[in-house]
Amino acid sequence: MKPGKKPKSYFKLRIYLVTGFFLLFFLAIFGRAVHLQIIQGPSLKKMAAKQHRKTLNLQSKRGDIFDRNSKELAVSVEVDSVFAQPNKIESPRTVAKVLSPILGVSFFELEKKLRKDAGFVWLKRQVDLKDEQRQIVKELDGIGIMKESRRYYPNRQLASNIIGFTGLDANGLEGIERYYDSMLKGTSARFTGEKDAMGRTLVYQDPDKTVPLEGMEVELTIDKTIQYVAEKALKKAVDKYGAVGGTAIVMDPATGEILAMANQPSFDPNDVGRFDINHWKNRAVTDVYEPGSTFKMFLIAAALDEGLIKPSNSFFCENGNYRVADRVFHDHEKYGWLDVSHIIKYSSNICSAKIGEKLGKVQLYRYMKAFGFGSRTGIDLPGEATGFVRHYNKWSGVTLHTVSFGQGVSVSGVQLLSAVSSIANGGFLMKPYVVRSVKDQGGHVVSESHPVVTRRVISAETAATLTEMLVGVTEEGGTGVKAAIEDFEVAGKTGTAQKPDFKSGGYARGAYVASFVGFVPAKNPRLAILVTVDEPKGEYYGGLVSGPVFKEIAEESLAYLGVFKANTSAPNMEVEGDAVPETDGGEALSDPAELRPMAVPDFHGKSVRMVLRIAKDRAFDVEVKGSGRAVAQHPFPGASIPSNGPVVVEFR
Amino acid sequence: MIKLKDTDRLLIISTLLLVVVGVVMVYSTSYIVALKRFGDEFFFVKKHLTYAVAGVGCMIVASRLPYQLYRKLAYPALIIAALFLVCIYIPGLGVTAGGARRWVHLGPITFQPSEPAKLAVIFFLAYSLASKADRIKTFSPGFLPNILIPGIIISLIIMEPDLGTSMALASIVVIMNFAAGVRLRYLFGMGLLALPAVWLVIQNFGYMMTRIQIYLDPWKDPGGKGFQMVQSFLAFGAGGLYGAGLGEGKQKLFFLPEAHTDFILSVIGEELGLIGVSVVIAFYVIFLICGVKIAFKARDLHGQYLALGLTFMVVLQAALNMAVVMGMLPPKGLPLPFISYGGTSLMVNMAAVGIMLNIYMKENEA
Repeated sequence: MKPGKKPKSYFKLRIYLVTGFFLLFFLAIFGRAVHLQIIQGPSLKKMAAKQHRKTLNLQSKRGDIFDRNSKELAVSVEVDSVFAQPNKIESPRTVAKVLSPILGVSFFELEKKLRKDAGFVWLKRQVDLKDEQRQIVKELDGIGIMKESRRYYPNRQLASNIIGFTGLDANGLEGIERYYDSMLKGTSARFTGEKDAMGRTLVYQDPDKTVPLEGMEVELTIDKTIQYVAEKALKKAVDKYGAVGGTAIVMDPATGEILAMANQPSFDPNDVGRFDINHWKNRAVTDVYEPGSTFKMFLIAAALDEGLIKPSNSFFCENGNYRVADRVFHDHEKYGWLDVSHIIKYSSNICSAKIGEKLGKVQLYRYMKAFGFGSRTGIDLPGEATGFVRHYNKWSGVTLHTVSFGQGVSVSGVQLLSAVSSIANGGFLMKPYVVRSVKDQGGHVVSESHPVVTRRVISAETAATLTEMLVGVTEEGGTGVKAAIEDFEVAGKTGTAQKPDFKSGGYARGAYVASFVGFVPAKNPRLAILVTVDEPKGEYYGGLVSGPVFKEIAEESLAYLGVFKANTSAPNMEVEGDAVPETDGGEALSDPAELRPMAVPDFHGKSVRMVLRIAKDRAFDVEVKGSGRAVAQHPFPGASIPSNGPVVVEFR
Repeated sequence: MIKLKDTDRLLIISTLLLVVVGVVMVYSTSYIVALKRFGDEFFFVKKHLTYAVAGVGCMIVASRLPYQLYRKLAYPALIIAALFLVCIYIPGLGVTAGGARRWVHLGPITFQPSEPAKLAVIFFLAYSLASKADRIKTFSPGFLPNILIPGIIISLIIMEPDLGTSMALASIVVIMNFAAGVRLRYLFGMGLLALPAVWLVIQNFGYMMTRIQIYLDPWKDPGGKGFQMVQSFLAFGAGGLYGAGLGEGKQKLFFLPEAHTDFILSVIGEELGLIGVSVVIAFYVIFLICGVKIAFKARDLHGQYLALGLTFMVVLQAALNMAVVMGMLPPKGLPLPFISYGGTSLMVNMAAVGIMLNIYMKENEA
């Protein structure tokens, strides 16, 4: 027997006591487990599920926006956004002190945020951090950086009213950004997933969804250079005449493609907040105005098309005073007898009213609707205005007369220019559009726009006759001489419309919209341009205020496009950049109007794929030479589609 | 067929099953974190598996070494343990993590000296209590050295600070003294004397205060300090009776901090349900019963005390960990024996099982 074996009986008792204590302890633990898992289980389970589930809005990289020559108009760049998890921060004071200079946020404001009883709070979004600053921020406990995509507009004000802008969460708020928001966003799919305690998204269960599809790229019909030219010219006039605003639209009349759309006032989409909300809108599309005399060309078009008048028919202009019912109409100068060509050339209100009388309200109304007034053109931009054309049943005694010279109707800029383009286009009204194609990130074309003929409005003969008359407007003695360009015939019309005064119900004294609309070259037109200047001070005649703007835009754009004077062949030289020498359809087009939308499109810069597609749509043959982008073609753009052979397109 | 009589086999089986549960759960708990942080979902489980294999080695070696060895090793082990605990403070050797110095670098290995220190204290007490068995009722040497000497080691662990391990070790010291028959009035007296000291310690270690506040009402601030506790409750609740299924738990996705170490039972609760938790508790109960049986069968007092000390070391820690994760005790930071990720703890616990097996074999040989 060893010493110490004696107290063994008590020893056993003590061991049993300890063992018993442990068994009870385990029993209690088991009881607690039952309590937690069975009794409280369902309610705890619900709470757990709630914190796991979260509607994720995985932000994909927003697609870029390009002009027609693939020049960047809007791009997405990755920037840092700094957030805090206040619950994990031990000393808000210290952290706030460190972060305040880095983020440029006041110490007081930061500390307040850091003391919030929240799991997550943004401290500063979309901030530019230097590498060493980023390092400091990363080392702070409870502070993190998230990569966010920020929209950047490299050309600042350029085309801002078309492009629009995005909000902080990268959703399009205006312009193309808004109209094509879902495509630019890509499949920023909202789906339910798991989130972890840090609010990070875990999509580990579905690897297919971990990479959100990036937004698509949008290529506009806008040409950055022409846009720049238009903005520059417009701004000059608006500044010169102290006008409240203005627009300039440039369209390819054969296709309906918008090449430029300038607005004044404008804004810098990189810093939207600095500008009044009034600067954001694209007034060429969203605003309406009374067209005034520019509208006369549609009256003449209708009367010509109906065979009621000929250019040589004369009307008596009442020497500037024409009483109808209780109204007396005036011309700005007193005219006697004028033929139709000169009625347009001098812009006589009285004779226009007389032509209106001859045409009748039903026909006038019918033609206005056919030209697209009173209904949206369907342009792919947000907020398009309808304009206002009262039904002829509701016309009063003089409405027919006033409408004949463009009073009592309202139109949007894009609407008017489309209508004018139909005259340039042999009578075919084209649907205007600003987006050429949408591509995914892999460069595959998702959707592509093609010229769409809305309807034939007038006959080709009418269009040709009218065009000739409109050329007169810019010739010696016409109201639009200031819009005339050397070497080219310009077809156009001036407009000087008093602005309606909504308070008194009449017209505002001294408040005018001075406009000029036209197309150039008159035969085989390449550009249709509308210029409106809102409330110019001093001068207010459309021909004086807007005519020169038209001229400047047209001249510079034609030179840029490499369109040269008729009957002078292009200088035989290598032209740098995008400009490719093209002749103005050297072969005489006996009746250009008849050939327009059946003319060869401008393939310059297009891909093989796109060229083939256009050719297929328009049902003509194409011979492809080389690969890449189209650099040359025969016949030239605007020439008639040959009936006995393919259109040859060279690519490089 | 294992009969209940086969205490050693039952002990080995319950131990190894707990280890297997540990490996499976460490993987299930850590793979997402490992994938996110290291790009390798097996990062943690590979290490843990290595420790488990090393642990089995420790167990086999310890079962072959005659336990009488620990009588001679009592003092040297204490001194080495104390030295290691001091090493923590030597720059270059000590590793600070989460505001506490609990690890020591030795060449390629990093370990927690408080784990082997527990073994050293148990070796010392088993030897000391057995050799002074006839004078056990005296104040000294019956009581005083058996409290004071472990007290030094415990103080060193408190200073890391690691209140969980020191409290657990203090409890083992008290239980072993009680089992050996030290006068209760000395133990109670010491307990009363210790109260102000415990209070002081808690006051000085601010983090302990908040832990107690969390324990008292974790729901008061579920997003803040009570976060961990509430997340643990949610895990248990989400599991229900049958659990969400292995690997299906959501709470480990960064909601539940230290899910693969201290709070691994919460994940077991979520993924394997009440059934899984009950099985784990049952294994510890079997471990307790086997340990006590071995103690009773040991052929001398030293073996008895050694077996008891080691058994309680494992079982107490298991009970404390489970109580903490279910909110029955303030958070302590103790791993769940055999299951939680952590090499030192796993190897020490498995070595303890080896020693217990050796005590049992010696008994059967006689």
